[in-house]
Amino acid sequence: MPTSQNAEARRAELSGLLARVAAGDRRALKTVYARTSAKLYGVCLRIARDRDAAEDILQDVYLKVWKRAGGFDPGHASPITWLCAIARNAAIDWVRKHGRPAIPAIEQPPDAGDSEWDAALEALSQDEERAHIFDCLEALAPSQSRAIRLAFFDGLSHPELASALGAPLGTTKSWIRRGLLQLRGCLEGD
Amino acid sequence: MTSKLSSEEAALAAEFALGVLEGEERVQAQRLSLANPAFATRVARWQRRLDPLGQAFAESPPPDVWPLIEAQLDAEARSGEIRTLRFWQVAAGASGVLAAGLAALMILGPAPMQQSSGPVAPASPAPVVIAQLAGTGGTLLAANIDPQARYLSIRAVSLPETPLSPELWVIPGDGVPRSLGLIARGGTTQVKLPENLRPLLVDGALLAVSLETAADAPHTAPSSTPIATGKISVI
Repeated sequence: MPTSQNAEARRAELSGLLARVAAGDRRALKTVYARTSAKLYGVCLRIARDRDAAEDILQDVYLKVWKRAGGFDPGHASPITWLCAIARNAAIDWVRKHGRPAIPAIEQPPDAGDSEWDAALEALSQDEERAHIFDCLEALAPSQSRAIRLAFFDGLSHPELASALGAPLGTTKSWIRRGLLQLRGCLEGD
Repeated sequence: MTSKLSSEEAALAAEFALGVLEGEERVQAQRLSLANPAFATRVARWQRRLDPLGQAFAESPPPDVWPLIEAQLDAEARSGEIRTLRFWQVAAGASGVLAAGLAALMILGPAPMQQSSGPVAPASPAPVVIAQLAGTGGTLLAANIDPQARYLSIRAVSLPETPLSPELWVIPGDGVPRSLGLIARGGTTQVKLPENLRPLLVDGALLAVSLETAADAPHTAPSSTPIATGKISVI
């Protein structure tokens, strides 16, 4: 388990690499690729649920990084979440356009084991501010939290959520909407 | 039109940032985030809120696509100038993939225009000639042209951080960019339109902004692909 100091050093290194990519340094891009492709492939695969598709999306993601690195602002976002956002958007664009394998209905209760979730909570436990949003999500009604997590982590659209959660579209939409409002209230300490 | 968002728009901004939208709603949110600064700000705030969640994505052993990425970068570098030229031509024709994507964003009502960066004034007389210039990463500029086509006002809403300077271009139907000079990175710039270029600023002509070195501006041709483009609309 990396210490928070290590995490901070890696973050600074990645920010520095992205600055070099912005300046047109291809070796820096290769290092960014080496450091982050497992993570970004995980994002693409999770959302596209197809290895060939995820492979295509992954290429596209690094070409986007090459072109957009100048727009990365280390004061605004962490480099890894900026990269994940590019991957997430590219993957969502892809699945909205091409579709993907059918989503199996989710039958387990919302608090069923989610190893990624648990690992993330573990990794973030030392960083209170970052852990805050996880606490806030946990505090939502289980249906709302589940819907928001499926949308964020699996890129499910409203109709896909309704089908995955086995509830009417209007119901899952209101889970998302009310969940997001409560999430904001929790994050901002209302 | 005011900067106040309806509750429907506010919800749409949150859902867009979450990534749950599809089809018409996603397109609508993409349009709004480029046309309505209040909406774009709302989306950005949501992205910041959700930002830490990205850390929870699990890693997965990737296929080695680096050689493929490198090959594409090589191909682009080799045809760099050609590619740039082709982009500008495609953009001017508004028929390329990128241009088509951007074109969808241009089907907009007149956005609230203003001369300063204060709050958007409601109910000011609608400008007759406008353009929204949008690019990736939230890059956004708004332009309007006075009815006599002597001046163009362009407001930089959001530009990437860079030591380079934004240069404005008009690309008429012939696909050849003409420089309208450097513009300010923030606030509104008044560009006096040279007489010979005024006839080019017509409905459907493309405005584009590229990043250039300030010292030798204006340039005869852009040195890189534009960071934002938008069609002129006469409303």
